[in-house]
Amino acid sequence: MSILDLRLSAAVPPKPRHWWRWLAALVIAAVVVAVFIALPIAWNRLGDLPGEIVRYLWLMFSAPDWSKLPEALWQTWRSVAMAWIGTILSIAIATPLSILAARGVGPRWCIVVLRVVFGVIRAVPEIIIAIVILSVTGLTPLTGAIAIGVSGIGTLGKWGYEAVETAPTGGVEAVRASGGRLGDEIRWGLWPAIAPTFLSFWLYRFEISVRASAILGLIGVGGIGDMLTSYTQYRDWATVGVLVIVVIVVTMLLDAVSGAIRRRITEGATSRGPAGA
Amino acid sequence: MTAAPTPSRVPPKPRTWPRTLAIWAVLLVITAIAASPFVGIDLGAGFGAVAKSWQNGVNKLLEMFQLDWRILPRTFPPLLQTIEMAIAGTAVSAILAIPLTLWSARLTNPWTPGRGVVRFILNVIRAIPDLLYAAILVAMVGVGALPGILSLVMLDVAIIVKLVAEAVDAGQTGSIEAGRAAGGTQFQINRALALPDMWPSFASQTLYVFELNVRVSAVLGLVGAGGLGLLIDEVRTYFHYDQLAVIILELLVVIVLLELGSSWLRRRLV
Repeated sequence: MSILDLRLSAAVPPKPRHWWRWLAALVIAAVVVAVFIALPIAWNRLGDLPGEIVRYLWLMFSAPDWSKLPEALWQTWRSVAMAWIGTILSIAIATPLSILAARGVGPRWCIVVLRVVFGVIRAVPEIIIAIVILSVTGLTPLTGAIAIGVSGIGTLGKWGYEAVETAPTGGVEAVRASGGRLGDEIRWGLWPAIAPTFLSFWLYRFEISVRASAILGLIGVGGIGDMLTSYTQYRDWATVGVLVIVVIVVTMLLDAVSGAIRRRITEGATSRGPAGA
Repeated sequence: MTAAPTPSRVPPKPRTWPRTLAIWAVLLVITAIAASPFVGIDLGAGFGAVAKSWQNGVNKLLEMFQLDWRILPRTFPPLLQTIEMAIAGTAVSAILAIPLTLWSARLTNPWTPGRGVVRFILNVIRAIPDLLYAAILVAMVGVGALPGILSLVMLDVAIIVKLVAEAVDAGQTGSIEAGRAAGGTQFQINRALALPDMWPSFASQTLYVFELNVRVSAVLGLVGAGGLGLLIDEVRTYFHYDQLAVIILELLVVIVLLELGSSWLRRRLV
């Protein structure tokens, strides 16, 4: 580059003109406006909305009906138990499947089939899975647990094979070099490398399952969601307030505990890693 | 050098089995309690119910494979409403999320107590699952698309603000420091420097939230909040599993298409 070029390039470059960005923004804005026109919303009632919401919040939280607390806690425990069983179910099924679905482990057809299955499951919301299996299992917490379990297979399966594919391959190669077979490679080479990641996936999935189990109650499989629908239908807002508080506190508490364990697992693993190797 | 210990000795195996055993025991006990009658969800009774009615139920499930395509034309208006709700929810929450994100990131708002309050409120909002909002809001503002959009907005704002604020705080501080050194006020810095910096992560999280919204708004109707869920609820009350299968298939196709489209867009954006 000559000196002349340098001098020329010292001038402020022209501002880039991204006409297509403006076009995209315009299209998005047009779509949004069209959507708001198309949606059947009573716009004249929208002005009352903030006042209404404040009024209901007052009804819910000004004098919560604490006498319902024991039942609320019991139903929350049932929801959490549902989430727990469902998560264990999905761990038991998804762990071997996710390893099998990783490139380099399972046969090619197996990888394709499993990935499609995981993808389909992830696209279907838990509540629809519950509705489908409801005809066989009935309106019991078992339905909720199975729905959570199935839905967990989708997420854990995907996270699992991604983790296996990005795991360090040194251990597996070492086992192979010393004459191990596929089973030995997975148990002694792969598993130590992915175990901390998998553990933290399981905990994270449990957090998701707890939320899902509260939702599943809405179709009547029991738990806190079930109780919440009945009391909103009775318009017993003082009790609804208690239920909302219980859901918030329990969810945040479980998230905090699980998050702390997850951090311990992942950070403990990285700090131990080099010393152990 | 004779005093040195033989260096090639294998180190003693760490004794981890007591801990492993304890962890397994705790997990097993929790599982057993959760599954037992009276103190848990009584899986035994659940399996009993399955044993009693499984034949009837399996016949119903098999009906799912005889797709009843006659329902397809009826699904289009609610499906369209589902997508409209998702777009409306995403748009409103994206607009609300911009100032809230700037408010709750450390780099763009140095005032810690103010940041803490907003972050805490958003954490509380995120603790409640989407359909519970919808169930409560339907009772508050009546059946229709409005409670659905409102419950989408609640969660979306909380999700976008959390993820984008984290991205802002983890990002480069250079441009913001430059702005401060040049004497800009926090507002000027945020508008001129932080906003363009956070744009890619904001756009990508908004897309993610849109995908999520389509999934959620498809089932919001189960509690009366408009969209495809209303139809799902109707079909399931009459146990028309042949029609339910068509709706689920349709939903699958829509979700997969949207996911492909949004991952293409995300690659172009980031």
